[in-house]
Amino acid sequence: MELAASARCGIKMLQLVQPPAMQALLQMQSQQLRHRQTKHWNPKFKKLRAQKFVKLDLPNFHEKPGDLTQEEIRSRLKERGVLPPRPWLERPFHISCTGGIFEAYVPPEGDGKKSFISSVGAKQKLEFLEKKSKSVMAVRKIRSYEEEFSTDDFASEAQDIYIAAHNQMAAKNKHQLREFVTERCYPEMMHNVRDKTIHWRFLQSLEPPRLVHARVTDIVSKENLYAQVTVRFHTQQMLAIYDRFGRLMHGSEILAKDVLEYVVFEKHISNEYGKWRLHDKIIPDWLPAKEPAPITYRVIEEPEEAMELLAEGDKKLEAGAEKQNPEHLDNIESGAAVEAVNENKAAKSTTASPSI
Amino acid sequence: MASLVKQFARLNITQRSLLQNSCKLLLPASHSLHTTDTLSSKWNKANHGPRKWLVSNKTVHPPQKPDEEPRKAYVCHMRTNIKYSPDKMWYIASFVRGMSVDEAVKQLSFVLKKGATHVKEVILEAQEMAVKQHNVEYKSNLWIAESFVGKGRVFRGLRRHARGRQGIVEYKHCHYFVRLEEGEPPKDYYLPTQQTPEQQLEKWIEQMRSRKVINSL
Repeated sequence: MELAASARCGIKMLQLVQPPAMQALLQMQSQQLRHRQTKHWNPKFKKLRAQKFVKLDLPNFHEKPGDLTQEEIRSRLKERGVLPPRPWLERPFHISCTGGIFEAYVPPEGDGKKSFISSVGAKQKLEFLEKKSKSVMAVRKIRSYEEEFSTDDFASEAQDIYIAAHNQMAAKNKHQLREFVTERCYPEMMHNVRDKTIHWRFLQSLEPPRLVHARVTDIVSKENLYAQVTVRFHTQQMLAIYDRFGRLMHGSEILAKDVLEYVVFEKHISNEYGKWRLHDKIIPDWLPAKEPAPITYRVIEEPEEAMELLAEGDKKLEAGAEKQNPEHLDNIESGAAVEAVNENKAAKSTTASPSI
Repeated sequence: MASLVKQFARLNITQRSLLQNSCKLLLPASHSLHTTDTLSSKWNKANHGPRKWLVSNKTVHPPQKPDEEPRKAYVCHMRTNIKYSPDKMWYIASFVRGMSVDEAVKQLSFVLKKGATHVKEVILEAQEMAVKQHNVEYKSNLWIAESFVGKGRVFRGLRRHARGRQGIVEYKHCHYFVRLEEGEPPKDYYLPTQQTPEQQLEKWIEQMRSRKVINSL
């Protein structure tokens, strides 16, 4: 009875069920019947066995670390069992020098030639008087730490430091240079000198060097004092810069140039072993733009928006100066050692400027 | 027996935290194990590529006198471990040799080989370097003075043959080296160009006139 019922049911099913579905049903039955015992049940190995080449993971030698996403780096580190590198959280800083000039000396325009009677001249005079008293105080403070400090003797001492620093730079003695130059100044001196040959000579001093400005400030704590002294140099120098192949890039071996400079020297006076070192050079706003390098170069066109922004920034910076220097941008692009070493020459003029 | 098992189980529970701690302590020790990528590791001597080629970019020549002829600037550049056979790259490297940079770039853009794109990129990079870092004034005034290929890393893989045999497949990498020099390329870098019939005749006449007839007047 039961048998007959099931048979009837089966026939019904065969009649009702659509052909594709039935095929699947039949396949299911065939999968169940496995006669060969040597064949793996997973078909992927069949494909691998049939392949002619054994696959190899070739490394990508031209992969840059920036190309990988965070997730990819993570998975790769995990795969190789490496701990991720510790993020670098330390911030290095120097306490043997300051990071700039405080209350920078502003060289008078035209080297103090402006008339007393004109409004500009009168203003300058007033400012000088104000700053002079501060300088006197600062010199007194320096003297309390360094007893034999005198404004007259220091100027000649500063000139020795100045000459030594430049000679060491030209000779590329980076270790000896550090004795004459602060850590802030060092990268500015050594930038771009690596594959150049620099011939620099100090010919003579046209006017005796003179101390024009002095300041003392404390940083972090009250006892931690730094002294900065600005010295005016009016000298004659020779500068020739050769490129890697010995071809003259800038300057001349036979040309002596008059150089007027305001150089800042710094000393960590609370440090018993502190030394006077070259710190910075003052380049006034009114200085005319440097003449561009005498080579042909390509002006890389920047998108308009960026240019506009730059121009605005320039305006803000040079609020005091009447002229903008369009060559300034080009100079940066020409980017040679000329830039770095050009600072040797600040301005040329011969009249006296007020001193302490 | 059952009590022993129970004892172990209890120990397991109590000591689990301890064990975990010890695992944490042990973790840094895995640094010393050989787990990192063998390619990037320092003990893999074959990993460093060619080291001498770029050193010549650092040599500083002594200054010249104003009456001397200015030295020609040069730049060396290379690309290492390109996934391409050095044998195939040789054709491209020697094809480009002795051309001016502009000519080489133009020609290479019509060479339908994988290596040609690499060579072109390297030449353009070297040209940019020359202008930016090595005081070359005109970027078109450069020619390819040296261009050659080196053998890079070779990875060996397996290939299946019939009857359970196998062959070795080599996945080769190559290095490409180039040196650009300032100035015009030489006229005949490889072979002198063929002479015109007139030139040949002239040469023949010259030869005939300059010969010496022995035992003659």
